[in-house]
Formats: sequence, C-alpha cells, structure tokens
Amino acid sequence: MNRPAKVWRALLTTLMVLLAILWLLPAVWVLVTSLKLTENIVRVPPEWIPWPATIEHYGEVLFSSSRTARIGRAFFNSIVVSLGSVALVVLTSAMAAYPLARMSFRGRNLVFGLIVGSLMIPNAVILVPQYVLVQRLGWLSTYQGLIVPEAAMTFAFGVFLLRQFFLTIPSELEDAARIDGADPWQIFTRIVLPLSQPVLGALAIFAFRSAWNDFLWPLIAVNKPDMFPLPVALALLRGAYAAESYGPIMAGAVLSALPLLIVFLVANRRIVEGVRVSALKG
Amino acid sequence: MKPRRARRRGAFTPYLFLAPGLVLFAVFRVYPLLEGLWLSFTNARLGRAQHAFVGSANYVRLLDDTRFHVSLVNTAYYTIASTVPILAVPLVLAVALNRGVALRTFLRGAFFFPFTLSVVTVGLTWLWLLDPVIGPSTYYLRAAGVPVRSWLADPSTAMWAIILTTVWWVTGYYLVIYLAGLQDIPRELYEAAAIDGAGGWRSFWSITLPLLRPVFLFVLVTHVIGSFQIFGQVFVLTNGGPGDATRTVVQHLYETAFQNFFHFGSASAMAWVLFVVILAFSLLQFRLLRGHTQY
Repeated sequence: MNRPAKVWRALLTTLMVLLAILWLLPAVWVLVTSLKLTENIVRVPPEWIPWPATIEHYGEVLFSSSRTARIGRAFFNSIVVSLGSVALVVLTSAMAAYPLARMSFRGRNLVFGLIVGSLMIPNAVILVPQYVLVQRLGWLSTYQGLIVPEAAMTFAFGVFLLRQFFLTIPSELEDAARIDGADPWQIFTRIVLPLSQPVLGALAIFAFRSAWNDFLWPLIAVNKPDMFPLPVALALLRGAYAAESYGPIMAGAVLSALPLLIVFLVANRRIVEGVRVSALKG
Repeated sequence: MKPRRARRRGAFTPYLFLAPGLVLFAVFRVYPLLEGLWLSFTNARLGRAQHAFVGSANYVRLLDDTRFHVSLVNTAYYTIASTVPILAVPLVLAVALNRGVALRTFLRGAFFFPFTLSVVTVGLTWLWLLDPVIGPSTYYLRAAGVPVRSWLADPSTAMWAIILTTVWWVTGYYLVIYLAGLQDIPRELYEAAAIDGAGGWRSFWSITLPLLRPVFLFVLVTHVIGSFQIFGQVFVLTNGGPGDATRTVVQHLYETAFQNFFHFGSASAMAWVLFVVILAFSLLQFRLLRGHTQY
C-alpha cells in the first residue's frame, strides 16, 4: 500500500473511532449516572467520572423494599418470559420447518405461504383482539399470557429461517439413518437438530431480543405490578420523576441492557450474521 | 423429497410435526386478525360482556375523529422526516467502514449496540440527555452558544427529538444490512472503474449507489412499515404531547382502547385502517423489489 493511502486509512480510522465514541456517549452517560451518589447526579456542569462511585442504586432496585424494588422482580419476570418464549418458539418453529423443508404432503405450499404471509401482519393491528383472547383465557398478568403471544410473534420468522437452513442439509444423512431403521422423530432430533445448532442459536438470540425488549404487549397484558417485565416497570417508574429516582432508573436501564450486551459480546459475529440473513433473504 | 416413504411411514407424520406450531399460529396470529376485523364492526368495549354489530359506524366515526386525523398526519410526518436520516446515516457509516478501516468489528459493534436496547431504555436515555435543566446536551449546547429550549416540550421540536432518538436506536441495524450489501458488490467493478480513470466519488455514484438499490428499497420499506407503528419512543418521551404534537396512530389506538375510552370497536377500526396502509406498502415493496434483486 502506498503512503497517501496509508495516511488516508489512518485518518479515516481515527475519525470513525471518534464517531463511535460519540455514538456510545449516551449509553456511557447512563452508566456513569447510575454509579453516582444521588446528590451528585443533578450537578452541572456534567461530571463524566462518577466519583465517589456507589452501587447503592443497584442495591436499591434489586433488593430494597421501596417501589423501585419492582425492578428486581421485573428483571426476574423478564428472564422467565424471554427464556420461556425462546424455548417455545425454537421448538415449535423447528418442528414446523422440518416437514416444510424435507417432506412432501398435501397443503405444504399453502401452509408455508400462510406462515410467510403472516410476516406482514403488524403487531399493533392484532393488539386489541389478542387482548380479548388472552383475557378470555384468563391469562392476563400471567407468564403464559406473555410467553405464548411473544412466541407466536416470532414463530413465522423462525419457520422461514429454519426451513431455509434445513433445505441445505444433505439428504444422504437422513437416508442413511432411515435405512438403519430410524423413525422421522429420531432423524429430526438426532441428525437435523444437532446439525442446525448455529441457526438455532441465531433464532434463539433473535427471539430473546424481541421478547426481552417488547413493550407494547406487556404494557397492556399485565396490570399487576408484580408481573411487569423490565421495559414496563422502567417506563412506569419514569412517571415518578424526581431527583431521587434518577439513580434507580438509570441503574434499572443498565440492568435491562446487561443480558443482551453479554450475548452480544460473546456472539457478535453470529448476531450480525443473523441480521444479515434475516434481512436480505427475508 | 421422498413422497413414497412419507406415505409408507404414515401420511400423518408431517402434520404431527406441524401441529404444535400451527395451533400457536392459528390461535394467536390468524384468529386475532379476523377477530379484530369483526370487532371493528361492533360496539365492543373493555369490560362489556356483550357487544353488538354496528355496521360501519366505527369507520364512519373515524372520518370525524380529528385526533385520529392529527395522529395520521403526525405519523406521516414522522415517517417522511425520519426517512432521509435513516437512509443516509447508516449508509455513510457503512461506506466508511468498508474502506479498509482498522478496528472494523469494534466499530460495527459500537454502532450496533443501541439496537440491542429496548425502546424504553433508549427513550429514558434520551429523555435524560435532553432534559432542559440537567441534561448534559443542554449544558454543552448552551456552552457552545446554541439557544436551548425544552426540545420535548416544544411542539415544533418534539417530533425531531423522537426522530433523533430513533436514528440512534436503529442505525446499527441498517448499518449491518448496508455492509452486507456493499460486500456483495464485486470488487472487479471498482478495479475496472479505476482503470478507466474513475475516482472515488465517481465510482460511488456510478457503481455503489446503483448496485445498492435493492438494499435501499429494503431499508426504506422496512423503515416505513415500522414507522407507521411507532409507539414506544412516543410513549416514553412525550406521551403524545405537547398537546397532540407527537400523537401517532398506535399511541392514539392505545389510548382509545386501553387508557381513555376502552372502546375496542373503534380501536379495531383504526388498526384495520393502519393495516391496509401497511399492506399497500408491503405490496409496493414486492413490486419494486421484484426483478431488481439480481445483478
């Protein structure tokens, strides 16, 4: 590489790093604020180093008995709902995608067409009837009232994604197992699923993110504070805006970002690949 | 495909595999969609056990519902005003990252990070940053001599604050999509252009932009469909205010059904108007994308 090109690259890199830091500043500010003493939070000019630092806001939202303690409970609720919905959607969409990819039967194209077509149904449009349905089932303010609709929202995407992948698995593997006397369920669980781990992982992350971050559905489907997931608990805490609640709100915001941040740091490439596949082949 | 084996093994096998998912799908997606259509022709309310068919009354009432009209206008305003930054900001970042910049994975991760946050966390972050008294942005802008107002309390700027928040939230997602599109452009095209004496700008205009057309369309239509349904940012940042300045369709729908009137019939009619608009755009996407995905 010649010299001007090197200089140009270094300049561009520097510029982009500065931009990226600027881009992250809002999130850094939330983290910094969550670590400040209450009396230092509202200080002007803004202080970017939380000194003296404290974790009292985290202790408060997770363990104290005040109303902010709902954040701790909400964190637990969000974990239950998100993991439940991931399990349900991965299981049902893998089971549905398998025959759609590998078996021929009457109505296959119709079923697949309906499922893919449903990707165009906006969630906001079925909000009211879904509420009526969940109410009729007696599922308002329950875990299943959140888990099952969240899974249903991601199901069609899961079927689409997994079917694409199952189509690429060489059929010789299944043929060999069939000759050895394996039944379709054994072939599915012992050959197809193990071969599909990367795409199942991508779907799990996608489903976790959408359940963990969903706001509109839990906002209406839950009316007992003990059952709020994190986004609802945080949004309603905002109503109590006062200097003393800034710290706990910011601590709650950091806690809500944590699980996906960890997943993201561990599986950066896979997430990016998942976005790419879902968008460009979708 | 092995039709004979499937038959021998039992014609029910595929349906048994499909059953759990199809039950989930039929009960929680298809049925609510149709139930919503039915509700939009009734006087259903929250807590009312019985409801009656009222014909097109709910739709007729929407013609007079000025708040609904305002919310449609606001949603259209938001959609149009946010489209340029949503198309351009991630594109500029993606093109820069695609120019052999070091630390690419880190940089991509930094821009993508906000997209992993929930809309509530994003909304609270910006509510706090833009706070007219203690928000850091207020302090620095004032120090730089910019006249600072309470952006979220001013009808002329509140929507722009929501747009800024959204751009910060979703740029990383579109950035990744643009990067994938850029990497699919064959390198030889740029090399050939360089041999023909085309500079950086020239090849950007003549190669990159035209070949990114399908990606543009995808980003555009995804963004537009999402914009019609914007809710979380509005709920957290302004709750539709000041006045009605940022009240969007879904915010209005939410208030009609669950906050003020508990009128499910009317809210369902709004939902179906919204659905038809979104459907029209989705079909437009298929028309526009067909025939352009190959290059």
